[in-house]
Amino acid sequence: MTISAERPTEATAGTATPAGPRSGSSWTNRPGWMSQHLGTAIVLGFLGYIFGHWWGNHLAGSYSYIANNGQNGVADFLGLALMVLGWLLGIGALNYPIMKLFGREAREEPPAPGLSKYFRYTLDHKVVGMQYVVGVLLFLFTGGLLAMAIRTELLNPTVHIFNPGTYIEIVSEHGTIMMMMATSIVVGPLGNYLVPLMIGSRRMAFPRIEAFSFWIFTAGYMVIFSALPYGGFNTGWTGYAPLQTQNGPGMISYLFGFAVIGMGMMAAGFNIAVSIINYRAPGMTWSRVPIFVWSILATASLLTLATPVLFSAGLFGILDKTVQTAFYVDEHGGSSYLWQNLFWFFGHPEVYIMALPGFGIVAEILPVFTRKPLFAYKVAASGMIGVALLSFFVWQHHLFQSGINPDMRPLFMLTTELISIPTGFIFLVGMGTLYRAKIRFEIPMLFAMALFFNFLIGGVTGVFLSDVPVNVTVHGGFFVLSHFHYTIMGGLLFAFMAGLYYWLPKMTGFMLNKKIGLVHFWMMFVFFNLTFFPMFIIGLLGQPRRVFTYASNLQGLNDFSSISAFLLGASFIVFAWNLVYSMWISPEKAPANPWESLGLEWQTATPVPAHNFDRIPVIMTDPYHYSEANAPALADFGGAAPVASDTSSTSNPA
Amino acid sequence: MTDTFKGSKYALATPEEREFELRSHLGAIWTGGRLFIGMYTFMLASLAFSYFYLRSSNNAQLWRPNHITAPTYYGFFIYGFMVLTAILAIYGQWRLRKGEVADWQVAGWTGVASGLIALFLQIWEFTRVPFYPGSSGYASTFIGYAVMNIGTIAVGTYWLETTLARSLRMRRELGEGAELSSSPSAQSFRANVASMTYNWGFIALGATLFLVLFYLM
Repeated sequence: MTISAERPTEATAGTATPAGPRSGSSWTNRPGWMSQHLGTAIVLGFLGYIFGHWWGNHLAGSYSYIANNGQNGVADFLGLALMVLGWLLGIGALNYPIMKLFGREAREEPPAPGLSKYFRYTLDHKVVGMQYVVGVLLFLFTGGLLAMAIRTELLNPTVHIFNPGTYIEIVSEHGTIMMMMATSIVVGPLGNYLVPLMIGSRRMAFPRIEAFSFWIFTAGYMVIFSALPYGGFNTGWTGYAPLQTQNGPGMISYLFGFAVIGMGMMAAGFNIAVSIINYRAPGMTWSRVPIFVWSILATASLLTLATPVLFSAGLFGILDKTVQTAFYVDEHGGSSYLWQNLFWFFGHPEVYIMALPGFGIVAEILPVFTRKPLFAYKVAASGMIGVALLSFFVWQHHLFQSGINPDMRPLFMLTTELISIPTGFIFLVGMGTLYRAKIRFEIPMLFAMALFFNFLIGGVTGVFLSDVPVNVTVHGGFFVLSHFHYTIMGGLLFAFMAGLYYWLPKMTGFMLNKKIGLVHFWMMFVFFNLTFFPMFIIGLLGQPRRVFTYASNLQGLNDFSSISAFLLGASFIVFAWNLVYSMWISPEKAPANPWESLGLEWQTATPVPAHNFDRIPVIMTDPYHYSEANAPALADFGGAAPVASDTSSTSNPA
Repeated sequence: MTDTFKGSKYALATPEEREFELRSHLGAIWTGGRLFIGMYTFMLASLAFSYFYLRSSNNAQLWRPNHITAPTYYGFFIYGFMVLTAILAIYGQWRLRKGEVADWQVAGWTGVASGLIALFLQIWEFTRVPFYPGSSGYASTFIGYAVMNIGTIAVGTYWLETTLARSLRMRRELGEGAELSSSPSAQSFRANVASMTYNWGFIALGATLFLVLFYLM
């Protein structure tokens, strides 16, 4: 595409499609209380729950099996289902689909002014990204509080704060909330906000689907949290049958929560994948796509294709609990192993849904703070795609212990070990970029480097666990628990923090305070390791997961781990304080390009204009030519003055 | 598939940029339609996996006692109406390409009616199965299929109906033959019709597979 020298006029802009007669989004954008916003969503969600519950009792209350056991799964399910429907109706997510039935079209309009846009169904990808930031932090802090409760209980093997039932419910809720949160923690906030900016697009492909993904994600949070007032569930986050079948209404919240969040994940992945494939700016060939975008594309593909299986698994579980099918009931022709297969067919790709965006963030950050080109860019990109593909062929390693045909074990051991190869590619790309670099130890870089330390431990123990003999020995214990906390928290969460410190100046216009950031980083890094490394030893000494008591000789290690966990929790308070301090108490305005990055997202104004770029840029090269003499210009911005005035967007700032 | 291509009135686009956005938009509809099939495939695959897993496990000898079968007449009628909808959608698109907009409209609305009948029959069958849902593995998977099929037909028919409604609106606003013009709206519309048709073809294929599994085997 060539860039016209002349500027278009208002009269010629936006005439591609005539505006429809009535706009759904203008209804959601009306000022005042007579519009759709979070408040109406809460009211309609509440009314939906009441009506659904009443309807379920009306429909199924007279069935003998319900009258006999006093539990009406139909009412519980319909209550939650209509709550979600009411929530979506209230926020305005269903306006457009309903209008389409009558042939009406919506206009795309600027978001509502001020802060109110964050409480509405908004089609601007930047607003959705910020909504996700708050949403995932809410998930994270809720799950974190439950983790504190777990570690409090484990301070003493004999003096108990909770009874065993409550303890396992807390463990289950913690695991489920954290896993649901972790699937969206990068794709939601950073993926939605940054991908269009990084590919030079003014928009997402399907902004309504994008907004839908966020609001159904929040509905999923409420559904899964409703398990606690329903009496919880004691299966852990994996929800294995036959415990699943024996559980009460809390299990419906779990199953439906996964299905609802699954819809959000599918919607988010679908929209992002389509956007990356089709909305890349002219000149952005696949070899010029930023590595973070590659990681998001791989993740979005996994979200789109693996999550339907989770959705089906949840649907079958709900049918078991409501219309009394027997998918997971061995005695009636079903199979509890069926759940394990379906769950892990999604569940293992999910691990990479969590890991890949983390790799993408650090691979994006490393060149900026080392002032070196990304080492072996193509290897990193192919490693991400390789991990995504292989992740579909490893799920049965989760069944090594639970009854898999022994002949199948070597195959899945092999595929699991195989996946460490492309993962190793990505790791080596990081090491290659760091090699002989003059590193700037800014906060994002510290978090990025911490990921390599943590993920090395998590990854190596993962290779151990893929071997059947080791797996059989340590299965179900704290060793496994420590392994996946090292990969997910030590990998993903540290990468997320790196991403927040790196990109929040762009997203909010404010720099996060460096001193508080340093305290946050060192507390989080040190106490994360002090919390979870002892758990490897605790696991090898035989302490099982999900049990609220343990051998008294392990109390010392458990106490050490618990106290470290409290301090790890405190590091998040420091982070929250940093947000409040840097944005409200002592705000420091961020320069347009504070890290002197070559990334396209930094070449537009801060705050980012509604349409992202004045002119769609024409990409000339990849964004990693740091410290290269005569490096080509990144992009042609069509004659518009580069807005990142402290570093020219068309020259190499190194 | 949603129609999201709009020249945003607050983005001052050059002609080249509008052309680029249109190309991207048409590509997004094409990619989205295929990706939607990918998602649907994995959902169907999880049901097919469940079918064969429970069948081969045959726990408590309760895969399919006495060779119980879901109501065959209903099954064939539902299948027939689903395939009819798919054929009408494909035929309609073929006629649209030939410039016969009226044929597309008639075929499309007949397809919507056919889809609604299939939807009604599937819901009716769901409430009239001659076995207890948890009586066997077969019964359970059939109920799972019925629920999925209700969703599938509803989404497919919705997509067909909204495409037709859009066609009517375009005619109202832009005049006769608006669907065939070279305007961005018309191109977007035709891309949407193509994706919708492609998806209906796939739905018919899936229905054929599960007709064999649940009614013929």
